[in-house]
Amino acid sequence: MNLAKHDPETEMPMNMTPMIDVVFLLIIFFMIITDMTQQDLEELVLPVAAYAVPDKPDMDEWRPVLNIPYDGRWIVRQEVKYDPEVDDAKPEEERYKQIQLWLNEASLRMKKEHFTTPSHDDDAPTCSCGQTPYPHPQGSGVLIPGEALLIRADESTSFRHIQKVMEFCGIKGIEIWKVQLAVSEPEPDDKPKP
Amino acid sequence: MVSAQLKEMSEDECELEMTPMIDVTFLLLIFFMCTLKFKTLEGKLAAYLPKDVGVNQMQAEPIEKVEIRLDVVKEGTKLRPDGTAYKGEGRYVYDTDRVVRYSVGPRKTTSLDEVAKSLEELHQKDPESPATIDARPGIIYSDVVKVLDLALGADFTNITFVGSYE
Repeated sequence: MNLAKHDPETEMPMNMTPMIDVVFLLIIFFMIITDMTQQDLEELVLPVAAYAVPDKPDMDEWRPVLNIPYDGRWIVRQEVKYDPEVDDAKPEEERYKQIQLWLNEASLRMKKEHFTTPSHDDDAPTCSCGQTPYPHPQGSGVLIPGEALLIRADESTSFRHIQKVMEFCGIKGIEIWKVQLAVSEPEPDDKPKP
Repeated sequence: MVSAQLKEMSEDECELEMTPMIDVTFLLLIFFMCTLKFKTLEGKLAAYLPKDVGVNQMQAEPIEKVEIRLDVVKEGTKLRPDGTAYKGEGRYVYDTDRVVRYSVGPRKTTSLDEVAKSLEELHQKDPESPATIDARPGIIYSDVVKVLDLALGADFTNITFVGSYE
């Protein structure tokens, strides 16, 4: 390697090969990394909310995320669990089988918490609405899912889809009661709320 | 001439040039920084569901609830996200001619500012009262989020979703 001479008159032939190699390596690296981190999140436009809590998920922890874009499809990790165009033709019991299966799995996988007596829930740091639960018919020894299901829906998604998901969350066997609705934070130059 | 160049190329020593590699590294560093920032712009609103399962509710529910109902008065023209006319394909947004009626308790209005004011007043009258959001058919996610956002802004702490599903 000729490191010493930096004579301004010496011609330096530009060797493109290593640069191209590095560029390709990095492009591939980026493509793989971006794809892996974005698998949970479908591309959609979230409505803006001023009182939102910033979403800082622990990337190492599993989190159930349901995406519902404007066309009403229900997507989990790039898999379509329900598609109105396809599944509405099926009879009522079959339509929501996949999503119910997934909700069941998610419910089982969630960390459980005890059914608390009516009081403010202190272990919900992201919730500004302390849900006061009703007593469980089977008593407070029951364990119910304690983690939240994140629903990400597009601005123009019909709300009935979310209502339907909430309905499924309430059924016995699933009993997911913490639901979070994904929103986007307002731009810093937006008008502050009065 | 070509063969002479080729011969030259095979006999030359390869010199490792650092400059373009450093340029590329910087470019990628900047790319990383922008990508990471983009990801954290999402937020979330808690929408907790009632935990009651089964019929055995011990609370008699005499509590005054603030019932918020959303109805579509006029669906509004569908537009493409860039503002041009919607042709039926792809994602759409509603134009400003969309009219939603919000009933907050006894008051009905089509303006979100009025909703905000009503919610503030009702919360101040009874800070413990829960709120319920009832979205009728035709209501979209964005409508509900705006109302939920205002309810959280008015310091309601117990907000649940009720209403017919579909």
